[in-house]
Amino acid sequence: MKTAAKTPLPATLIHDFLEASAALYPDHCAVVCDSGRYTYRQINEAANALAASLVDLGLQRSDPVILLFRNSFEYIACYYAILKAGGCVVPINPGFTPPDVAAFIECVQPHTILVESPLLARLRECTSIRSFLVTQKDGDIPPGIRALCKKPALSLQEMLSKPCLENPNLPIAADSCASIIFTSGSTGKPKGAMLSHKNIAANTRSICQYLSITHSDIQMVILPFSYVMGKSLLNTHIAAGARVVLNNQFAFTAAVLRQMEQEQVTAFSGVPSTYAHLVNKSPLAEYKERLPFLRYCSQAGGHMARPVKTALRELLPSHTAIVVMYGATEASARLTYLDPESFHQKIDSIGKAIPGVTVTVRDEQGNEQPAGKEGELVARGENIMMGYYKDPEATHKVLDRWGYHTGDYGYRDDEGFLFVSGRKDELIKVSGYRVNISEIETCILESGLAVECAVMPEADAQGENKLLALVTPVNVSVTAEALHLYCQNKLPPFKRPRDIVIAKAMPKNVNGKIDRDQCRVHIRNHTRTGQ
Amino acid sequence: MAQKTKVKQFIVNELLFGNESLLTSDDQSFLKTGVLDSSGLLELITFIENTFGITVNDDELVPENLDSLDNVEKFILHKATA
Repeated sequence: MKTAAKTPLPATLIHDFLEASAALYPDHCAVVCDSGRYTYRQINEAANALAASLVDLGLQRSDPVILLFRNSFEYIACYYAILKAGGCVVPINPGFTPPDVAAFIECVQPHTILVESPLLARLRECTSIRSFLVTQKDGDIPPGIRALCKKPALSLQEMLSKPCLENPNLPIAADSCASIIFTSGSTGKPKGAMLSHKNIAANTRSICQYLSITHSDIQMVILPFSYVMGKSLLNTHIAAGARVVLNNQFAFTAAVLRQMEQEQVTAFSGVPSTYAHLVNKSPLAEYKERLPFLRYCSQAGGHMARPVKTALRELLPSHTAIVVMYGATEASARLTYLDPESFHQKIDSIGKAIPGVTVTVRDEQGNEQPAGKEGELVARGENIMMGYYKDPEATHKVLDRWGYHTGDYGYRDDEGFLFVSGRKDELIKVSGYRVNISEIETCILESGLAVECAVMPEADAQGENKLLALVTPVNVSVTAEALHLYCQNKLPPFKRPRDIVIAKAMPKNVNGKIDRDQCRVHIRNHTRTGQ
Repeated sequence: MAQKTKVKQFIVNELLFGNESLLTSDDQSFLKTGVLDSSGLLELITFIENTFGITVNDDELVPENLDSLDNVEKFILHKATA
């Protein structure tokens, strides 16, 4: 890795980073995406124009604004516009289902909803829309959605049509809420991590420092900006005056690699499933000599299995470092990273705390544990969230005088490297997304088709979690297909069980509790024999 | 045409669990409209390989070959005559 960044990044507000880069590198290409290439000047002026419109609409400090877009120039312009106008960005993953989206809107009562036209159907489960609705073109709104709107709909195209040179420079407190990021949907209580400008700015500076990101870097972004890791790629590269290349079709790995070569990309980032896909279903091996500028590949979003790490190391150019990282939405993204020089020696480690963060291992009473002894990983730093939105009880459970309780159990070795052993509760990660098992079980039971069910993760050969479900049906006419169809309508793809098996009775232990190990055995037998 | 029908049947029956309304036209992008995610795409590739006796090489994993019914049909015909 290169040495640390040469100059400190002084910004205290997230949009200060954009404004500073626009002043330093106005004509530098900041964004490459389907619709074209955009300079820092273009992005900043578009964001200024939209910010002025939001202020004109009466947006007040920390008012929530929902952002429902795939990665694009518009997403970036809207994101910075909301921040410049003093609002609070509430990004919604385009994969969330209409009931989820309706629940988020009901929860935050946004001042404005900014939505990409093809995603307008996600609003169909709302009972009414009391916010301003801004879409790409006013004419895009279907009559069914328009009928829900209590205020006139507005056109983003029109708002962006008059670029504005002047930054609004509104007085905004660094500790005001800049973003609420939700981690679960309507089938459970929505849980939104509130992140301040200070939280995100601190984490952005720290990441830029340890990854030595400079204005000459070019980051391939295949993760959605609505996901905290995707968002940190945006914040850090804009802060450094660097460039992001947006590709929303990672499944077409050959096209992604082709673009990485063409754009002379210096950094790539993904979650474990990204790399499993890259290792197993992509022409990465053919690109070993064709990615001369690729400095590093970073990975976060859960534990990546050792076979995937070693295969990736084999396939990547020798000059490309692998940076394993660990974090949480509640930490504005990042908590630790493994220095690439220790990759082989500490291959299962999440590394050490990043600059400005401390991570301790503590028992239930809060006592710090010595090296080698397991406990919960607890983090402190300016990047730790303000709390959960409208949920002091949940906040109280994870924030205390020791810092943020990650819910991950782990230990520190004699050399100070941290290792994660597993989740404290039932939350797991599938395709990089946090999934709560009980939420999915509740959904299946709510179908009215099931008497009992057990959902459990199972790692495949690449170490990626897939969800399995064993279900006892209400009657013999219920099929696995019917349950799949129900889940398809109620859950985003990453929350849907890959295999659903119907059982006459659930395996139970002597206490009458469902025996999940036996459930797995049952599912495996069924999959093997087809019975 | 027969290839396109078979591919459509597979997507509707196996990946959309019979919900044909999600697949509205032959030039509809599978990924952009959420018909398939990356796992679904892998299942589609396996189906194409098994059904039409062709091999989808890793360097052929591009939208031009696989991101709509029209593109898949063109790709299968091209592979069959190559």
